[in-house]
Amino acid sequence: MRNRVREQRTQRGLSQAELATAVGVSRQTVISIESGRYLPSLPLAFAIARFFDLTVDKMFDPDDEEAGT
Amino acid sequence: MMAFIPPRLRKPTGIVVAGVLFAAAWLVRGGPLWWVSIPALIAAPARAIYLYWGGGQDTDAGALAGSRADERQQLLSLRSRALACNLAVISAFIGLTVAIAVKAAWWWPFLVILAIASLGYLFGLSNYGALEEPDDVDTGYKKRSPVNS
Repeated sequence: MRNRVREQRTQRGLSQAELATAVGVSRQTVISIESGRYLPSLPLAFAIARFFDLTVDKMFDPDDEEAGT
Repeated sequence: MMAFIPPRLRKPTGIVVAGVLFAAAWLVRGGPLWWVSIPALIAAPARAIYLYWGGGQDTDAGALAGSRADERQQLLSLRSRALACNLAVISAFIGLTVAIAVKAAWWWPFLVILAIASLGYLFGLSNYGALEEPDDVDTGYKKRSPVNS
């Protein structure tokens, strides 16, 4: 599953640590989500999407097959 | 009880308590090996200090040591504990098999470990709802009133 977390974060000039603090997870988890190694839970996916004023399906694309946990 | 302890101190406190209990067991046992309690009493606080220091690190292991893990880190911990439990059960089964084969008297502790693991697993299934029928099952069929049918 591909996501646009890195793209949205860099567009807004945020660091991974700042995004992590904003959505209440660790910096390592943001790194894992951005690299596609970890698929966030539904509440976390909503929190990330809301933070960027996007919908979950705009943020996370299930049609794009990529390895994820 | 742990809720009253600051998160970063929880694991170090557990280590110290376990170390004191372990040392006390050797002291109560007495005999020529009573001195084992001394390294145990030294090692436990040393490990606790290391865990406290590790709990302040900006890493996954640090978050786990400092009891401030997020959902991914908790999942990592859960998987690691499941792996450790699987290895313990396999080891206990091998131990039980060997003990039976060599007619040893020490077969029963392995059986106790296997029994506790099995009961724990069943308790987990029950506790987390795997043994229950969901109460909102929808069969797709319309329910008929027993009065009108």
